[in-house]
Amino acid sequence: MYYLLFKSFVRTKIFLVSLVLLLTVGLISILIGKHYLIKQEKTIVTAQKFQEERIERNLEYHSDDLGLLLYYLRFTLIKAPTTFSAISIGQSDINPLLQAVTIRALEGQKYDTDFENPSLLMSGNLDLGFVIIYLFPLVLIAMTFNLYSEEKELGTWKIVAAQTVGKTRFLLKKLLVRILFVLVILIFLLFLASVILQIPVDNTFIAICIQSILYLSFWSALCLWIISRKKDSSFNALILISIWVVLTILAPAIVNNYVLNAYQVPEALNAMVAQRDGYHEKWDLKKNATMTGFLEAYPQYKKYPVPEDKFSWIWYYGMQHMGDLESKDISIKMKEKMMMRASVSKKVALFIPTIHTQLIFNSLAGTDMESHLKFLDALTEFHENLRLSFYTKIFEDNSADTIDWKNHGAKFYHPKRHFDWGYLILPTLLISLIIGTLGLFNLRKI
Amino acid sequence: MRKNVIYLLACQLCKDAFRSKVMNIALGLMVFLLLFAAYSGWENYHDQNHTRNLVQEEVQKSWENNPDKHPHRMSHYGSFALRIKHVLSIFDLGIENFVGNAVFLEAHKQNTVNFSEASMSTGLLRFGEVSLAMLLRVIIPLLIFYLGYATVARERENGTLKLLIGQGITRREIVFGKWLGLYSLSLIFLSVIFFTLLLFVLFAAHDDMNSERLLRYTLLILSYLLFFAILCTSTILVSAFSKTAKGALIKLLGIWLLFVIILPKSLQAIGYYLYPTPSKIEIETAVEHDLILKGDSHNPDDPHFKALKDSVLLANNVTKVEDLPFNYSGFIMAQGEAMSTKIYLEHQDHLYQVYRKQNNLERLSAFINPYTAIKNWSMAYSGTDFQSFLHFKAEAEAYRYKLAQTMNQLQMDFIPNKGKAGPKIISNTHWKEFPPFEYRFLSVAKVLRNETISLIALLAWSLLSFVGLLSTSSNLKAI
Repeated sequence: MYYLLFKSFVRTKIFLVSLVLLLTVGLISILIGKHYLIKQEKTIVTAQKFQEERIERNLEYHSDDLGLLLYYLRFTLIKAPTTFSAISIGQSDINPLLQAVTIRALEGQKYDTDFENPSLLMSGNLDLGFVIIYLFPLVLIAMTFNLYSEEKELGTWKIVAAQTVGKTRFLLKKLLVRILFVLVILIFLLFLASVILQIPVDNTFIAICIQSILYLSFWSALCLWIISRKKDSSFNALILISIWVVLTILAPAIVNNYVLNAYQVPEALNAMVAQRDGYHEKWDLKKNATMTGFLEAYPQYKKYPVPEDKFSWIWYYGMQHMGDLESKDISIKMKEKMMMRASVSKKVALFIPTIHTQLIFNSLAGTDMESHLKFLDALTEFHENLRLSFYTKIFEDNSADTIDWKNHGAKFYHPKRHFDWGYLILPTLLISLIIGTLGLFNLRKI
Repeated sequence: MRKNVIYLLACQLCKDAFRSKVMNIALGLMVFLLLFAAYSGWENYHDQNHTRNLVQEEVQKSWENNPDKHPHRMSHYGSFALRIKHVLSIFDLGIENFVGNAVFLEAHKQNTVNFSEASMSTGLLRFGEVSLAMLLRVIIPLLIFYLGYATVARERENGTLKLLIGQGITRREIVFGKWLGLYSLSLIFLSVIFFTLLLFVLFAAHDDMNSERLLRYTLLILSYLLFFAILCTSTILVSAFSKTAKGALIKLLGIWLLFVIILPKSLQAIGYYLYPTPSKIEIETAVEHDLILKGDSHNPDDPHFKALKDSVLLANNVTKVEDLPFNYSGFIMAQGEAMSTKIYLEHQDHLYQVYRKQNNLERLSAFINPYTAIKNWSMAYSGTDFQSFLHFKAEAEAYRYKLAQTMNQLQMDFIPNKGKAGPKIISNTHWKEFPPFEYRFLSVAKVLRNETISLIALLAWSLLSFVGLLSTSSNLKAI
């Protein structure tokens, strides 16, 4: 029976079209992912070389003045790339992969962006995640919308009804053949990606696979439900495409517009100005306007003298740090707003499988906003450690030779990875079950 | 062709449309989407511009309130340029949320334009945004296809097409009548959206260039009128040449998916794949490399700066830089700024050339995809395309350069050379004299030049549609 159903399915035009479409676009998306990984690797190599060369060159000119030398030197923190990000590039094309910072105030350096073509950013990446979220449902719809109605319209349904005992069963089997076909392509593409992109088959990969399968089950359940309402082919096509438009375009876009407007971040601009003023105005004030705040934060430097009538590095770096201190509150507020955006999106996602899947993909791949915020936290820590390791030497007027520059290559930040299986699986599973049950219930009376 | 027959057929189509359930649901949904898009577009425009204007004013005030000091300190104090939105960004968001909004302008360094809305967003942004233009380009075409797929095909299926022809109505009249009916329906949406937009353009704008705004607005209306005409023609033609209404619907849905969703994105992705771009750190490395080749101001033995020094000394007939009639380090910094800016801009231009190549694949596809033509045209006239952003960036950079060089000039004129007597600071009236940053939008003519391809494509498509409608309507099969 299954064999015959499969054979008749293979003979349809839509079978060949979807097979070719999914495989071609799927392969292109994997290659784009590969391209993206290569670009990341190239960037990292350049950054490492750049830092080494810069240190070397500046040592040549400024090794007698450590304060001045460190004014120029930049130290790189790189977010260690994972191959998963090639499956779901997410926000990682907007948020920079690395940040090269001096030990001056961080706030003005932290949010520097990388260069990327804005038109590309707008149109979004054609990664495997996109193919799964957008194209797979379309193919499912194209293969199933007339599952029942076509037989009815062509008049073949009567023959089928007369020849089979379980009409419902027949329809379900016919549906199952199509769903399985799509699932096989999906699994094939995922494993192809794992080979081409060298993705390890670990928990994260399995989670991505499970989420993809659940997502397609949701669409299968939806198709089943629409078919079970026994309307004509045109109506089914119309209604399914409309649902697709609502779920993949309108609903996410509306939520996005709402989130952007409801949680605006004017703090970003204010923090930027506060940081500059916090540092620069200190030039025109008495030295203790700087030193009080700085020494409160770092009492260990109290013993170093700060001459009132001339320039000293402790005062200079103190002023720089005051820029960070005075913009700290507003900067924290900014981060809170961004976290709010993330948490509201996540809550809405529980009810909309398309959004849920995209956010889960991004979070598994480490390409979501939260992962970038964590990188920024790590950068802050990295910056502080750098400063503290250099401060004493600068304030004591040590020469540049006292520092082992070999240890100051570009550093990597390794994000911690954890996910909650319940949060990952349950929302889509429950929604699929409910819709699937509705469909089955309708089909009983066929 | 008889006008009254065409008119009658068109009226019939509209009446039928309003009787259908699909139309009622669609209308309800459209009203909601329209209100939402208009409100969120306006809120975004108003709030963002409000914040940015406030910050820009604050920046100017603090600049002017600086006490007397050394001018070079002021060029490090620097300023900020904030990107102001065009009122038509309410209509079309374009790349608005994907480009930065604020840039710190200081001497010696070209900073990136930071704090794009995208950099503060979740992955949701990638699903797209709702704007009035998005409704016109993405959602309403789908609606027109829904409303129009059956027009001719169903008449044929039902056998009524034969009856119409039998009654002496020509095939051409039928096709044009159906087209006119569908076009009138689509104009309902168009006029509601553009009327709403007109209110914003007239009463909500934050700039004082009334005529410029209205001109952009008019160009937008005209282009969307053409786009909808093309759209309706395609619908009628597909319906006329499909055996069944179902076949017509499936074809139209396929066309929509291909042209609106799949093709633009794929071409952009392929462009990215074909023309790789360097990352920022690679460009910075290259800039620094070039700069050192040209002349390294940190190196005391650098030949470029040594030659410069010698020629300046010779020209002024002195032997030591201290004896020059102007401040020598101010002079050197001015030279360095000019040199580094030139090199940086060369590299940046090169990068933008690659971006243009990446984008061209999609842009040129306007000749096979009218959606692309209208998209780029609409973004450009809404002031939300890539060129508008580059224009802002160029203006900000020009201001930065002017700021740095003015401060260098002040240093040359008023600060004594090393070892000479005289004040090390100058009066703060000099800061007050330096004009604030003011952003002017691209002129309508410049936008036209940028979007010639889109315009030609749009006109070509309109012509093709008209010819198509004329020549093919006589071949309409009655059964």
